[in-house]
Amino acid sequence: MSWRTVFWGLCVPGALIATAFVAVRMVVGGDRGMLPIGETTDAHHQIEMACETCHAAPAFAGAAAAVKAMNKTCRNCHENELRAAGDSHPGKLFRSPGMAVYRERIDARLCMACHIEHRPEITRAGAVTVAADFCVACHAEGEQDVRAIRPSHADLTFDTCASAGCHNYHDNSALYEDFLVKHAGRPWVAPEPVHARSARDRARELPKGAALTGTPAIARSGIAKRPRQRSPFAWNNAVPRPPAALDEAPAIPRGGIAKRPRQRSPVASAAALVEPAALDDWAGSGHAAAGVDCVACHAPDVVEGAPRAEVEARWIEAPDTDVCEDCHKPEAKTFARGRHGMRGHPSIAAPRDPGRGLEAIGLGGVLPGAVAAWFADPPRPMRMTVAEARLPMRADAAPASLDCGACHRHHAVDTVRAAVEACASCHDDAHTRAWFGSAHHALWQAELAGEAPPGAGVSCATCHMARVGRRGKIVTNHNQNDVLRPNEKMIRPVCLDCHGLGFAIDALADADLVARNFRGKPSVHIESIEWALRRASDPGRAGNE
Amino acid sequence: MLTFAEELILLLTDEDGALLPIQKDAFECALAGAVLMDLAFAWRVDTDPRALVVTDRTPTGNPALDRILEKIAVRAETVDTRTWIRDLSIDEADAIREQALAGLVESGVLEQRSGTFPWAFRAPRHPAVDGEAARAIRLRIGNVLHSDDVPDPRDVALIALLDACDILPDLFPVREIERCRPRIEQLRRMDLIGREVAGAIADIDRTLALAVRSRSARFRRLLLHLSVAGALAAVATLMAPRVPIPDRFGPTFFELLWFDGAWQEWSGYGLLGFSGAGLVAALRMKVRPVLRSGTSIRWRLAHVGFGLCCVLLLFGHTGFRLGANLNAALMVSYVAALLSGALAGISTHGASWLRSMGMAPRLRVVPMRLHVVALFPLPALLIIHVLVVYLY
Repeated sequence: MSWRTVFWGLCVPGALIATAFVAVRMVVGGDRGMLPIGETTDAHHQIEMACETCHAAPAFAGAAAAVKAMNKTCRNCHENELRAAGDSHPGKLFRSPGMAVYRERIDARLCMACHIEHRPEITRAGAVTVAADFCVACHAEGEQDVRAIRPSHADLTFDTCASAGCHNYHDNSALYEDFLVKHAGRPWVAPEPVHARSARDRARELPKGAALTGTPAIARSGIAKRPRQRSPFAWNNAVPRPPAALDEAPAIPRGGIAKRPRQRSPVASAAALVEPAALDDWAGSGHAAAGVDCVACHAPDVVEGAPRAEVEARWIEAPDTDVCEDCHKPEAKTFARGRHGMRGHPSIAAPRDPGRGLEAIGLGGVLPGAVAAWFADPPRPMRMTVAEARLPMRADAAPASLDCGACHRHHAVDTVRAAVEACASCHDDAHTRAWFGSAHHALWQAELAGEAPPGAGVSCATCHMARVGRRGKIVTNHNQNDVLRPNEKMIRPVCLDCHGLGFAIDALADADLVARNFRGKPSVHIESIEWALRRASDPGRAGNE
Repeated sequence: MLTFAEELILLLTDEDGALLPIQKDAFECALAGAVLMDLAFAWRVDTDPRALVVTDRTPTGNPALDRILEKIAVRAETVDTRTWIRDLSIDEADAIREQALAGLVESGVLEQRSGTFPWAFRAPRHPAVDGEAARAIRLRIGNVLHSDDVPDPRDVALIALLDACDILPDLFPVREIERCRPRIEQLRRMDLIGREVAGAIADIDRTLALAVRSRSARFRRLLLHLSVAGALAAVATLMAPRVPIPDRFGPTFFELLWFDGAWQEWSGYGLLGFSGAGLVAALRMKVRPVLRSGTSIRWRLAHVGFGLCCVLLLFGHTGFRLGANLNAALMVSYVAALLSGALAGISTHGASWLRSMGMAPRLRVVPMRLHVVALFPLPALLIIHVLVVYLY
């Protein structure tokens, strides 16, 4: 047999098989890791194998339909964020015929006009894929010519609009003119700086004497004391009872903070199923105080009063975060919108059904089940692992999976640990390291020690998972994206509680200061407040911008 | 007795029945010259500096020779030998080859075997029945080159034919040919044939050499330059720094070229089209039954031209960015195919230079095979790339 025969005999069928193999993976199911045409942007890389999340258009749809469908998928996840920020350039603004001339330059109705995925060569901060001076497209001529209507802007270049700390394209909630004027002249720090919503929230949970000293590991020492502290909140005053023997507990209650008076139910008749260390952790937790027992999380499907055998039969050794979500809906919802938990967002496409794909190509029911199963999408981890992160992370944290327990610890349900120690046990960047020893750290220590009022301390979570008020309740916004980039998004919900607007704008515009975790004073000064004041005093001003 | 064309084919056929990898244009000119030499030996044509004329229209009994004789006879205008060699090499080389092969099969020197896999892309092969005839011809030529005996006029004519078409280095070691160069020159000056025939043969030989050199030199130089350009472009694809995208708003040319969907679509279609055209041109060179129009040199020129266009469009489509995953595999396959193709072009059309460097003629086969190896995944990767674009 000649080499030609061997070559063609192998290569031609090989190429055909390879083509068919990849085509089947595209249409039916299977690993598609070889398909992305370029690196996915940060955060989105977590969901890049759930292609249909963004590529929602039908196969072979036209370019316009594909872009429209993709644009819709952007809004599935980012709509709330934009709405909350009072988007300065909402898509609807550009729908009118009068905006046609601007749409020709940038079709701002579409997210993809500025944010194109899989284009690492042109992807800038904030996943922006247009040049930094994109404002020039609309604000350089006519009635929108900012240099004409704002003499103060006459000598500015357009690449500084969004990079100098003055404007953002979407979120200007802390940068618009009236707001600047209103907050002008405030001191750099309030006389009694306290983050109000944190103060309300922490007042009910922080133990007196809990201390956080130099390193995150030491934070653990404060946790053991918690069960013996009494909170001013009623639900936190319940002292957990010791676990009773299963025989003594004929009825087993189901979990759920809002619905169930946990305090009165027999505590953990299934406690014999758990380890003593876990039980100790639980005993000091808010769950124990609220009467949320083992069965509530480990056997959530068991009805109240079920016999022990049924509990054992339905016992889940490691409950998923779905169980947490049953009671902590706002937290779970925001967690799924953030970078830690976005794989659990309801808009993320589910793995494809190979049966449907096979039907689409005329092989439905033809292939044996085992072969059809071979075309199934590989199982996707529901949780992000530290190893997958693109930010600098500690090597020893790589295997950690980001579920509720990763930060709060499953049985201790520890919000103090989650506020700092959990972050620092994974994140290993300059900003995180610089927090220890910073003024914010000192305040946090003082608050934990009871030497400062609740809300005075500034933990990682204070800024990056700001507490927000929702329907009369204070909840922790687990979507750090809401206050992350551009960092001016942090000013209103976080910084202004303690600092003046001028200081906050300057501090956030100073990248070195941010990296040093605000040790020192800003070395840059953004003049937007002064300019706003000057313009406010001008009787001929055109109006708020 | 075998004709010159038959002897030529026997010499250039390997034991598997495939032609040695020689210059196609030289081979085509050699076939045309071989027929004219046979006609001259048969006293049917004569030449002078301005014309090749038929002196006797009586058929020779050999269908291939008689067909060419008739063609020369019926031509209205009188043209010189060079024109006939050019025309016959372009229009009749395939037919002469097929008839010579048929004659050799009929006379039991060669046997015909159907093409090996893949059948659609392989012409029938003609291996020698026992190889004796080819060995005899080689022995005759060797004896003539290495002795001072008076040679047979047909052997002299055959050697002159092979030398004129620059085929001798493909049949014998280059050093041996160089050592025999004085003898070859002596043979070409010998007046061993009847005066009239000698005049015609010498004229055909001289004209053939000129025709081969001028035709092949012109095209070889062009193809060599194109191949070098292609190789440089392929290397630049890998080595050259990427053209930066300016951080200024506005539709810059390169940004449109590389990141605008419509432009990318069209450059992609263009790339696909030129790749397909290059494949057709390559098939035409290899698979005669598929397409019979045009000459191999033109198809080769077209193939190289399409390859160069692919490089340019590749730049337009990707900015020579390798991309990721299957896109990177596609780019690697493209660049490897272009680079190996360019090297094959350089080795084929710079054969004399390679010979002067002491490289064996068969070394030319290596980049050609690499070209095929690099090309085979290309259609699959292209199909997948197009599917990815339109499915996602």
